Amino acid sequence: MPRKTKENNELKDEIKKEKKATTTAKKISTKSATKKNTTKKASSTKADAKKTTAKKASSAKVDTKKTTAKKASSAKATTKKKSTTKAIKTTRAEIVEYYDLPYRYNQTIIKTLAQTPTTLFIYWDISDKDRKNYENQYGEDFFQITKPVLIVYNDTLGYNFEVEINDFANSWYLHVADSKCNYRIELGRRPIQKNENINVDYIYITSSNEIESPNDKILFNPNQKMVYFRNVKTNIETSKSINTLSFIQNMGKIYDIYDLYKEIYQNENIEEIYNNSNPSSSPSSRFK
Amino acid sequence: MQQKKGYVSFVLHAHLPFIHHPESDDYLEESWLYEAISETYIPLLTNFQKLVDEGVNFRITMSMTPPLLSMLDNKLLQRKYIKYLKRMIELSEKEIKRTAGDERLNRLAHYYFDRYSNDLHIFKEVYECNLIQGFKHFQDIGVLEIITCGATHGYFPILYVNEKTVKAQIAVGVQTYEKYFGRKPHGIWLPECGYVPEADKYLKEFGIDYIITESHGILYADPTPIYGTFAPIVSPEGVIAFGRDIESSRQVWSSINGYPGDYNYREFYRDIGYEADYDYIKPYIAHNGVRVHTGIKYYRITGDTDFKDYYNVQWAKDSAEKQAGHFFDSRSSQIEHLSEYMETPPIILCPYDAELYGHWWYEGPYWLYILFKKIYYDDCNFELITPSEYIDKYPNMQISSPCRSSWGANGYSEVWLNPTNDYAHRHLHVAGDRMCELANLYPNAKGLKKKALNQCARELLLAQSSDWLFIITNGTMVDYAKKRIKDHIGRFTKLYYQIKDDNIDENFLKDISKKDCIFPEIDYHIYQ
Repeated sequence: MPRKTKENNELKDEIKKEKKATTTAKKISTKSATKKNTTKKASSTKADAKKTTAKKASSAKVDTKKTTAKKASSAKATTKKKSTTKAIKTTRAEIVEYYDLPYRYNQTIIKTLAQTPTTLFIYWDISDKDRKNYENQYGEDFFQITKPVLIVYNDTLGYNFEVEINDFANSWYLHVADSKCNYRIELGRRPIQKNENINVDYIYITSSNEIESPNDKILFNPNQKMVYFRNVKTNIETSKSINTLSFIQNMGKIYDIYDLYKEIYQNENIEEIYNNSNPSSSPSSRFK
Repeated sequence: MQQKKGYVSFVLHAHLPFIHHPESDDYLEESWLYEAISETYIPLLTNFQKLVDEGVNFRITMSMTPPLLSMLDNKLLQRKYIKYLKRMIELSEKEIKRTAGDERLNRLAHYYFDRYSNDLHIFKEVYECNLIQGFKHFQDIGVLEIITCGATHGYFPILYVNEKTVKAQIAVGVQTYEKYFGRKPHGIWLPECGYVPEADKYLKEFGIDYIITESHGILYADPTPIYGTFAPIVSPEGVIAFGRDIESSRQVWSSINGYPGDYNYREFYRDIGYEADYDYIKPYIAHNGVRVHTGIKYYRITGDTDFKDYYNVQWAKDSAEKQAGHFFDSRSSQIEHLSEYMETPPIILCPYDAELYGHWWYEGPYWLYILFKKIYYDDCNFELITPSEYIDKYPNMQISSPCRSSWGANGYSEVWLNPTNDYAHRHLHVAGDRMCELANLYPNAKGLKKKALNQCARELLLAQSSDWLFIITNGTMVDYAKKRIKDHIGRFTKLYYQIKDDNIDENFLKDISKKDCIFPEIDYHIYQ
């Protein structure tokens, strides 16, 4: 049955992962040295990889172990339940539920979200099928002789930069320099050394969704002459010259929100008024 | 009487995540609802009624989220609330005896006894266990505008990588509103004020006129709104955005000099649940014996000291009245100043968590009551208004795209996306994609399969609640929040495979449908 096959596969993945994680642990010491270089390189390209390799690798290991163990026991529980199906029908026993999140979904994917105007969160995975394909095409040791990279495309300003990641992470926080820009991330691999099987210097894997990072400043356009209005009842649009608007005339052009508030609240402490952090997210304000 | 030069608009966001455990009485989290009913929802309703009885013309806006409405409408939770009240009445009776030797304490014990007894009367006799009808009544007579929210408070800036899941949050939010209030909502409280322009087209599709944003949702909009947060803007797609006023939020919220910190107000953290003799209080705390808040609190904030004085109801009322006067004066001078420069009268939008009023700031509902009376009776240069009324009066507004923003710490997505909770997002995304896949694979499902598909939609929506991510970030009740994500993703995934294999376990489906019984009328086709 397809479902069983897939579930078994998910289970297999986890066992495989566990093995991998064990080897991972061995490699950590050498890898963290590589990581240092990575961070340096990344920051020089305006990027900042926040998660450390070691941390990710070790947590991956723990997670996988835990998942596998629990999975195994829940699988056992299912078998047990099967054999007592008849009893369930007659006694209407409570359904016992235990869930764990799958370690992975075995799909080739990269997704990105904006955490802040200048921090992107990225997660990715490569399916076993695709991994196999790369190994068939470039050799069994494809994933050992190549390293993963993220290429960050800023489609608004038309530049891109590359960040070296590592195979022990499946997500990353990335610093970007420009807010209010469209970004798209590409996952690819580069050969670590020249190799006879790989005669290209970059192998594309997959591309992410495109997102716009939020804006983080007042957008004052010094050339703006007109302001556009819409009557939301009639949908009629009109425009007014900025010079005819008394708010602007009296306040001057809004270069900065501090200036605006200073003008309006002359006797107040502006720093205190203009505080972007929202008290409603303080823990005490809610039940939770 | 002064000429009216501007408007103040209060928006209270009433929300609790869907917590419903017919399988057990051991979930502490269920009491969030009971506390909110006793400390916030009933006091608000009571004060609205008082204002109406006294002939005070006022306006207030509230968002009531679909999970909250579903819980208020749930028979089991209504019974459990009554049980909770009876237990609290019993405890306050014991407290009256226990404190007999201390006159001031004893007066407070009587106060709690009266209060919980009154809650029971109001809940059972006045509202016949149905508080939604209570709120609806005030909407129907025109003093309250109720707006909707995302179906389960799913945070759009994370969900929108699959826009269909944002659409479903909006669709189910609107449908639930219509079910309870018999009309379409004009406005929506975007969960956590999380704004993404990609949601605009769906908001329009479901008839939403306006949204509430954090201040920088307007201040950083494109192009820059010339009136700041003092006038709404309309997005190119036609969604109207009102931004939170910075000054008035600070007055209420500031942890340093905000109103709720007044020394005469009730001290939230001193509760007999933590202080009374263990064996005495044991029947009224958690089932597993862990001490928790009971709601009976005898002290006032007093000052920056551990030696707290007893709470004095009258002193607290005096402080609330003084602060209502301060808020009134501040808004008057703010509006006086602003109106000189604006073509249309300014609107000062004051959005807060509803549960701040009463639960956290115990005297909050009374403060509102006094403030509204003042605005009505005093010589005042402003009026209360709802966003809908403002749009109706002043439909001409600047065209500008609000900034992607939220009202969480630092204004963007850090609360709901950070190293403590980022593991959850790929699961939410995959489940969203799988739900769309199912809806497209089985457009004409009937019988058991249809039921299973609808349950899948419920599980997905429940997994998407921003509350779980928030709780994990906050570090309290983390296990419960993590369990909820696992349970809903787990149930969803199990059903997903069962549907695809045409091998649906009817008992399992029945069991989870009973637990996760939110949105009985849901139709999975919204994910097509």
